[in-house]
Amino acid sequence: MTTELLDQRNRRNRRNRRKEPRVKRAERKNRGVTERQRPLWLLTPGGLLMVLVILVPLALALWISLTDLDQYTLRRWIQAPFIGLDNYVESFDAGLLHSIWISVSFALIATAATVPIGIAAAVVTQNKYRGRGLVRAVFLIPYVLPSFVVATVWRTMLQPDGIVNSVLGSEGSLWLSGSRSYWTLILVEIWAAWPFIYLMALAALQSVDHEVHEASAVDGVTWWPKLTHVILPYLRGPVLLACLLATLNHINNFTLPFVLFGAPAPDNVNVMPMLVYVTSFQGLRFGLSAAMAVVSLIIILIPLFVYLRAVRLDVHEEGGRK
Amino acid sequence: MRNQKIIALAGVTVLAAALAACGGGDDGGSGGDGKTLDVLIGANTQYPEEFQAWQKSISDKFKAQTGATVKFEQFASANDELTKIQTSVVAGSGPDVYAVGTTMTPTAYSTGAFVKMGDSEWQKIGGKDKFNPATLGISGPDENNLVGIPWVSRPFVMAYNTDLLKAAGIDKPATTWDELRDQAKKMTHGDQYGLAVAYKDNFDPWKFVWGMSVQAGNPLVDGKTAKLQDPTVQKAYETYFGWLTTDKIVDPAAVGWTNPQALASFAKGKTGYFALTTSTATNSLEQGAVKGKWAFALLPTVPPGATSRPANGVEAASILSGDNLLVADYSKNKDLAFQYVKLVTDPDVQLDYYQKFGNLPANASALQTLSSDQRLGPVTEAAKKSVATPFTGAWSDIQLALTNVAVQSLPDLAKGSLSAQQIDSRIATAQKSAQSSLDRAK
Amino acid sequence: MSAHGEATRLLPRPLLVTITVLLCALVLVPISYIVLASLNSDVGVASGEFWPSSFSLESYHKIWTTADLSTGIVNSLIVCGATAVASALLGTTTAYVLVRYQFRGRLTILRGLVGLQSIPGTLMLLPVFVLFSSAGNYLGLTVVGTRWGLFIAYLTFALPFSTWVMVTYLRGLPRELEEAARTEGANTVTILWKIIVPLSLPAIVVAGIFAFLLGWNDVLFASVLTRPETHTAAVALQVFGSSQEGGALPVYSQMMAAALVCAAPVVILYLIFQRYLVGGLTAGGVK
Repeated sequence: MTTELLDQRNRRNRRNRRKEPRVKRAERKNRGVTERQRPLWLLTPGGLLMVLVILVPLALALWISLTDLDQYTLRRWIQAPFIGLDNYVESFDAGLLHSIWISVSFALIATAATVPIGIAAAVVTQNKYRGRGLVRAVFLIPYVLPSFVVATVWRTMLQPDGIVNSVLGSEGSLWLSGSRSYWTLILVEIWAAWPFIYLMALAALQSVDHEVHEASAVDGVTWWPKLTHVILPYLRGPVLLACLLATLNHINNFTLPFVLFGAPAPDNVNVMPMLVYVTSFQGLRFGLSAAMAVVSLIIILIPLFVYLRAVRLDVHEEGGRK
Repeated sequence: MRNQKIIALAGVTVLAAALAACGGGDDGGSGGDGKTLDVLIGANTQYPEEFQAWQKSISDKFKAQTGATVKFEQFASANDELTKIQTSVVAGSGPDVYAVGTTMTPTAYSTGAFVKMGDSEWQKIGGKDKFNPATLGISGPDENNLVGIPWVSRPFVMAYNTDLLKAAGIDKPATTWDELRDQAKKMTHGDQYGLAVAYKDNFDPWKFVWGMSVQAGNPLVDGKTAKLQDPTVQKAYETYFGWLTTDKIVDPAAVGWTNPQALASFAKGKTGYFALTTSTATNSLEQGAVKGKWAFALLPTVPPGATSRPANGVEAASILSGDNLLVADYSKNKDLAFQYVKLVTDPDVQLDYYQKFGNLPANASALQTLSSDQRLGPVTEAAKKSVATPFTGAWSDIQLALTNVAVQSLPDLAKGSLSAQQIDSRIATAQKSAQSSLDRAK
Repeated sequence: MSAHGEATRLLPRPLLVTITVLLCALVLVPISYIVLASLNSDVGVASGEFWPSSFSLESYHKIWTTADLSTGIVNSLIVCGATAVASALLGTTTAYVLVRYQFRGRLTILRGLVGLQSIPGTLMLLPVFVLFSSAGNYLGLTVVGTRWGLFIAYLTFALPFSTWVMVTYLRGLPRELEEAARTEGANTVTILWKIIVPLSLPAIVVAGIFAFLLGWNDVLFASVLTRPETHTAAVALQVFGSSQEGGALPVYSQMMAAALVCAAPVVILYLIFQRYLVGGLTAGGVK
């Protein structure tokens, strides 16, 4: 006990000592802003909300994943029997890895496809012309329609005797069942989600300074090199961030596959949120579904943090930029 | 700077508006009068105005009787409702009375969060005898543990095109599944099909399979054992899929149909039978080309491959379908809740509800007055010949597993061939998940 | 067009026109299907018609009684509007601290914020509900069923994203203005309000738009955290998708009409706010 305490104190001291030079560095950089003046209190409202509305429920979800919470124990959920890691073991039997694989691959393909569309849309609405406002608003529409409407519309259009088949002349081909359903999911997701990339790219384009355009005009650079070498680098940060968030949104998109394919879903599109939802709100096995969600969360978080380190999105680009 | 002010102004206004409007949680009130009873009920998109008017009239009657107000809360889908039940059960607060689909009653029962009906409770709502006895079949696991109070019935029937049947020289609708197939074959030619089936529906497939199996003597659940890997189930799936693959009496597009789409297709007037529907479809049928040329009929009650029902077979014309009322255990207004239940299960209210929305009364005497209605004859008969699905908390999983066999078979179905082995292996998967769910049932 | 316009042009005209037309078609073809379906009969839509056999505006009239759509839209506008403003402003202050100051755990916070984005909503639904309803049981605060509760939930879910949008943006802002202000004795709050907010308006608008849409499109949380009088538009819309088991046709045409009606306020808001997406930085010296 006492040694532990001592240990802790030592560690804390060491930490403080280590901090000193850093503070000094920061001071120099921030020209006179001392540690005391750092307005860290500004982080408290956001932090408090995160803790209350995300971290506490997340902890609760973790607890639930260790219990046998189902319809029989729901009413007295606090007393649900603790069963350790049993749910985690069972979740691998219940086709979780298959679902995660589908979710992740689907999300990556959808993101990869939406990026060029979104950037192209941002680039064509960059210059002012008559009716541009309208075009910009049109581009926003797919994003504004609730997922469940988008899914219902596409489901109706993709019926075997629906409009898509009669236009393509592929009478009776199945879009919503079997192996093709996977591509259907991707296509509909692309349709619904590209405006996200578009909005992010558009905002980033605005930050390209006018002088940059003028400089390349003076240099006589043609449009393609200008676009790829001069303009697109400006989009890198925001678009990378958009890709990341878009991918996460695709992975967690529940409404679209649920309304598009219904439950039970074809095996080819039994994405992770569907599995979690069906397990939890139709099968009423809350413990199991929480375990599934936790496993997939971990599986997603690992590459996410590797990616974050690799692209260095979050690293302060101090000094170099000014 | 101007921008900033606009944003600031907008922000403050919106936030203030949100703040100001957030006072009104429900405070319940105190004292005998002025209480509020929360009732969760399914949305009715077909007759929205009538539904609102009905809610108002019930609310007025209830106010006159008890002094309390009824507040209706609507849910959009079965999933929506289940989510609501679960969250309310966890929180121990929420609606006082739930209108719950019959097949969901076992699930609701298994949570133990609803009032069990004892003699005194039945007394409060006007006695158990006032209900059509068949409707009580899915109110609880046994006589002493009933939670569901029958409210309305929606038995399943077939609809058929009277003109097409006549043209094919058929004088009376089929009463066995084999007969149905043969008659449908006669009517299939050109762009005309004998039968409309919704293969992609999330609820229809299991109803066929359950019905055919029960008629052949297999109730699918025997105590704690799932009996899905059984010749009767196999035969049921073969028949059901065979309509499309071997008999070719169904439009190939039906692999993508949900029930409404099959209904729409039948309504065009080029299909002999629509295999699974309820009296609530009347309105949609009357809007289509089939207007005035259709009638309801009982679903076949003789299992496929047979000319008469085996000795242990049950004459199940439909699943016991409709809505039950459940009173929440956590409710602080139980007496009011029972008064509401009594009100809406009385004959006049029940008949009024039928006339407005096409749901059959669960009240026996109200149902009796309807049996003279020509078109409704088969439906009231189906209500009496409805059989309850097994009462177990595992039923929703079993239902899901049965449907999943159909869902995963759709691509093969579209290709036009489905081998017995494929069906068998999918049934085996369903059996496994059904059994594991039954094993956990308490 | 002036030389000014020519200089900023990114694409040759034919290409620009082609892409614009293609993208508009991509959006408008399905949209026109929705419009036509909203004018069609339910039977027509269900049987796969593109061009209605008969047109009727009836659905646009009926939707208001089928579901309490007007209440829903008002609620959505209030809750989502408040979420948009609050999360954009809170995101700006949080991002400002994260960008401008070095402190222990800064990177962890930044990465953690992205991590929070990957938590599936289906996992959080039950715990959030339990938490909110126990606030009612133990603290005497009514949270479930109020707009407050929904606002708090959306604000929290939107905050990581808003913060990140602002972080990427603020990082590119020059420090000179702030430092000048600081030497004149301005405190952090003043600097934020007078300098940072006006300068980063485009990003704030983007963050606000996304926060708004997050709430606008959510059904999962709204359906359990609201009561009839606080239902949002998305929840009201769901009613149109309902159909009774084995019963009648869903009211397809009403659903399409309602979807268009619900999309309209957002598109209009966007048309109003989109001019703030531009500018803001024109005077700055960011390279």
